[in-house]
Amino acid sequence: MKVLHQSQFFISYQCDKQRCFFIEFPHKTIKLGFCQLLAFRQQVKEIDLESHFNGQNIHGMEMLMLCNRQHFFVFNTLECIDLKEFITGTFAMLELNSLLATSV
Amino acid sequence: MKDLVRQKLSIHVDVMDLLNKQIEKEAHSSSAYLAMASWCDHNALSYSADFFYEQAAEEREHMMKIFRYINDNGGTAFSPEVSGVNHDFKSLEEIFETALDQEIAITKSIHNLVGKCRKVNDYTTEYFLHWFIQEQMEEEQTMRRALELFDLMGTDGLGLKLLDERIPQIRDKRPE
Repeated sequence: MKVLHQSQFFISYQCDKQRCFFIEFPHKTIKLGFCQLLAFRQQVKEIDLESHFNGQNIHGMEMLMLCNRQHFFVFNTLECIDLKEFITGTFAMLELNSLLATSV
Repeated sequence: MKDLVRQKLSIHVDVMDLLNKQIEKEAHSSSAYLAMASWCDHNALSYSADFFYEQAAEEREHMMKIFRYINDNGGTAFSPEVSGVNHDFKSLEEIFETALDQEIAITKSIHNLVGKCRKVNDYTTEYFLHWFIQEQMEEEQTMRRALELFDLMGTDGLGLKLLDERIPQIRDKRPE
């Protein structure tokens, strides 16, 4: 397994052998297929951070269900901010890897 | 490290995002045409109503074409939410002008998508979008022909009724 990207709270890995990805959360690690990773990315993109600061989301919590409802996560505001950076970073690394693979 | 993304996905991730945005626009466009059809029906402009019902179905077909393309190529297409559809119009002329503006906005969005495909070397999607470029050109021409009818015939007296009866013909002039 190779590390793709690491943020303050999360780490993403790619496993060539199983052709899948892993995400290490503070309390557990989950396995994702590419479609599941795309779905996770979409869920994270849809988090409205502004609502955490303008009083709309007074508890500052976001709940996400991943991988066909196998996993349920609750993130606080700090984790949500980190999650957005983490997803951007992970996909930037995947694109960089694609560029390298194309240029070889 | 293997390029797992390329193994699973034939299109660029950023292009997939833009295609999903395009799905939203096509869905909104379809709903907007339905609202126009409804207004025409209520105002006894049955030929125009039929025209907009057909337009609504066509926009939905465009949406489904993109939807299937994303999923067929390993991406994830998201079913769009549609809100903020305008149902209030002043006249049939305003409706056709709004329809033309809507088609122009869709054309710009498709061109923007093609630009992105070129930037990230996604030739597959660029090829797929060629059909949409041609389609948009025809859609704009159709709406312009409708607006020309207003300039030629006017809407006074029986003018509006006669104009409504001419609406089905504006499609017939499409190039083969």
